[in-house]
Amino acid sequence: MTLRVTRRQFFKLGAAGMATSSMAMMGFAPEPAVASVRHFKLTGAKITRNNCTYCSVGCGLLLYSRGDESINNIDDIYHVEGDPDHPVSRGSLCPKGAGVLDFIKSRSRLSHPMVREPGSNEWKRISWDEALDRIARRMKDDRDANFVSEDENGNTVNHWLTAGFLAASASSNETGYLTHKVVRSLGMLAFDNQARV
Amino acid sequence: MDPPAVILPANDVFAIRSQRLHALSGRVEALSEFLAFMGQVAQAQQAALERGAPSWLPEPEAFTLALEHGMPPLSVDALRRDVDIRSELMAFLDALDLHVGEAQRPLVEQLRHMPEEERKGLVEALLDGQPGPEESRGAMPLLAAALQVAWVRLVRCLPDAPKRPSDETRTICPSCGAPPVASVVQNDAAYRGARYLQCGLCATQWYLERARCSVCEHTGKLKYLSLQDDDGNPWLPVQAETCGDCHSYLKIMPRELDDGLDAIADDLASLALDLSLNEEGAFRRSGYNPLLIVGE
Repeated sequence: MTLRVTRRQFFKLGAAGMATSSMAMMGFAPEPAVASVRHFKLTGAKITRNNCTYCSVGCGLLLYSRGDESINNIDDIYHVEGDPDHPVSRGSLCPKGAGVLDFIKSRSRLSHPMVREPGSNEWKRISWDEALDRIARRMKDDRDANFVSEDENGNTVNHWLTAGFLAASASSNETGYLTHKVVRSLGMLAFDNQARV
Repeated sequence: MDPPAVILPANDVFAIRSQRLHALSGRVEALSEFLAFMGQVAQAQQAALERGAPSWLPEPEAFTLALEHGMPPLSVDALRRDVDIRSELMAFLDALDLHVGEAQRPLVEQLRHMPEEERKGLVEALLDGQPGPEESRGAMPLLAAALQVAWVRLVRCLPDAPKRPSDETRTICPSCGAPPVASVVQNDAAYRGARYLQCGLCATQWYLERARCSVCEHTGKLKYLSLQDDDGNPWLPVQAETCGDCHSYLKIMPRELDDGLDAIADDLASLALDLSLNEEGAFRRSGYNPLLIVGE
C-alpha cells in the first residue's frame, strides 16, 4: 500500500529528550511529569463507520468499541452516535436510531439462523451453511416447478411468479444494484426494498 | 447544513487559552508551575495582540489571489522574511515583563538582546519544526509565542476565510501552511461532532472527517488511545488518534467531554500521554506545538 504522507514531519516527545527540552531549559523540572506516567494506564477504543439499519434513509453512525482483537478479546460496542460527516444525516439520528445500542445489545437479538420445520412449533438452531443450502434448495425446487418461459402470446419471457423477494432497508446503491441483478435474472417480479420499519 | 470548512480564530483566542492553562495548572500537579507560566505567556500574547495593528501586510490582491487559487494566503514559507517579527517580539516581551518570575527573567533578557542573525535562525527553526540549538531552546517557546501573535494578527486581516483545502493540502493549515497541533471535536449545536484540525501557529481550524488519519488519510487501522488514572477514570479530555498504516498519532480532544478545552493548552497538559506513547514506541507524534520544543 502506498502511503501519502504529505508535508508532515514527526516529533519525538519522550522521557529521554525531556532533560534538554524547552520546558527544562525554562527552569521547570520535567521529572514529575515523567514520573507521573506510572500512575496512568493506556487504554484503546475504535470508531467504526456504519449505516443505521432501521430505514431507507440510512443515516450515518459512528460505533465506538473497546477491546483489542489482537489479544483475543471480543470487541464490545459501548457508544453509538450520529456521524457528523454523513452527507444525508449530518450527525442527527431519529429516536429509533439513537437507541440502536439497545438493539445491538438486545438479549432477544437474533445472532444465528434458526428454523421452524413445517408442523412443528419449535425453533431450532442451524448453521449458516445449512441455512443457505436449504434456502437455495427450496428456491430451485419452486422455480423449477413454476417457471414460466413463454407468455400467452408466445413471447419468450423469464418469469418466476410464485416467489417474492424483500431486501433490506439501509442498503447502499451498490447493494441495490446487485440485489436487482440477482433477483431479476432469476425471473422474480415481486420484489421490494424495505423502506421503513 | 454543512459545517463550515474553515474557522478563523476569534480575537480573544489567547485570553481563553490563558484561562484554560491556569485551570489546567490546578489539575495537573506534575506540570503545575509550567502550565501556570504558560498561562502568563498566553495572557501576554493577548495583551500584545490587542496592542495595535500589523505593521506589515501583504498587498490586498495577494490575499485574494491566494484565496482564489486555494493557496495558504499567509504561508509561513513565503512570509517569514516579511513579517516584522522583531517588533512583535518586543511588544510581547513588554507585556510578559510584568508577570515573569526570577527564574524565567534571563530568557526575556536573552531574547531582548539576541543578535538579529541568531533570532532569525531561531525563527527559521521554529517555522520548520526543528528543535534548534540546545542553548537557545529555553527561549524558543517565547519567540514562538510572538510568532503566534504575529500570525493570528495577520489571519484576522484576511478578507475571507480560506476555502475548504483541496485533497493534497487538507492536512496542513489552509491559512498559513503550518502543521496542526491537535484535532478538536466540536460541541456547537450547529456542527456537533464535527472534527477540526487546529493550526499550532495561527489557530485557524479546518474541517476533516472523523475517524480518518490526519497524516496519511487512511481509515482502516485507527485506534483511540487515552490515559486512565488508577481508579479507571479518564484523565484529561485528550485521546491519541493513532494510525496503524503510517504509525503516527495526533491528539484529538472532544469538547463533549470538556467544553473549556483549548488545543494548545490541553496538548501541553497531556504531556504524559506523549511520554506513554513514546515509551510504547509504535506511533510517532505528528502534532506540532511550538510552545514545547523537545530535541533528540
